[in-house]
Amino acid sequence: MKTSNSAWQRLVVAARQAPVAADDAAPYGFSTRVAALAMAGERPSLQSSLNHFSWRALGFSLMLMIVSIVANYSSVTTVADNDQEFVDPVEEILNVS
Amino acid sequence: MSDDVDTAIDLVACLERVRAGNQLAARELVEHLHPLVIRIVRAHLPRRVAEEDLSQEVFMKVFTRIGQYQGAVPFPHWVSRIAVTTCIDHLRAQKRRPEFRWADLSENEADVLDAVLTSENDVSANDALAARELVAKLLEQLKPDDRLVIQMLDLEQKTLIEISQLTGWSTTLIKVRAFRARRKLQKLFEQLQKKERS
Repeated sequence: MKTSNSAWQRLVVAARQAPVAADDAAPYGFSTRVAALAMAGERPSLQSSLNHFSWRALGFSLMLMIVSIVANYSSVTTVADNDQEFVDPVEEILNVS
Repeated sequence: MSDDVDTAIDLVACLERVRAGNQLAARELVEHLHPLVIRIVRAHLPRRVAEEDLSQEVFMKVFTRIGQYQGAVPFPHWVSRIAVTTCIDHLRAQKRRPEFRWADLSENEADVLDAVLTSENDVSANDALAARELVAKLLEQLKPDDRLVIQMLDLEQKTLIEISQLTGWSTTLIKVRAFRARRKLQKLFEQLQKKERS
């Protein structure tokens, strides 16, 4: 184990002596391209805006639907009860004849 | 290093202009931070990934998240962390080589490996490049997270605290990963010693 570890350490010491690439500057046109891409990405496109608003509209309409059902629930059930009590005059005449 | 980066341009003013959508300021920021980013990218570059593509990805992430930067840490440190995590993601995505073989090594690399396995002498300075290539090939045998830790510890000689700041991992986790990596390397050396050079 000691031999293997020391082999790795000697290898690493040698590797650290290797010259590091000196040219760290951005290649020609790199910063312009990246900046343009980044700034283009920040402005929302028409499609993404439409998507955003359509999701909002869907959510709002769902909420409106639920509110209207809750608000009108009692009147809907009353009408249904009244319908059950309603006597159809045509049916009555037919039954008599 | 970070001090140099801080003083070269007025980062605070530059960041304000970038947030306001100023493209020229964004260009200045890229040119200013490129040396820092490219050094990290080169140190942890996965196989078959171009350093320019990876550094562009890092910068795109920086610009996307720039609104989240609160100033709790120096901006170059914040960028370094994004660069390191981007490299880790790429390393995780690539498959490891199935086996490390003598036959895959160049003549110089094989000589260096022979020297470290058989003699107690140091490798000559002339073979430094071959040693670095050999280290890169050995590191490819490790899990991405273990590889990153051992590279930062042994090659870049960073402290546990520095690695923790760059990766977000606890020092205990870093020690565990370093131990696991060294054990794997040790096994690899033992296998290579048994096989010898054909």
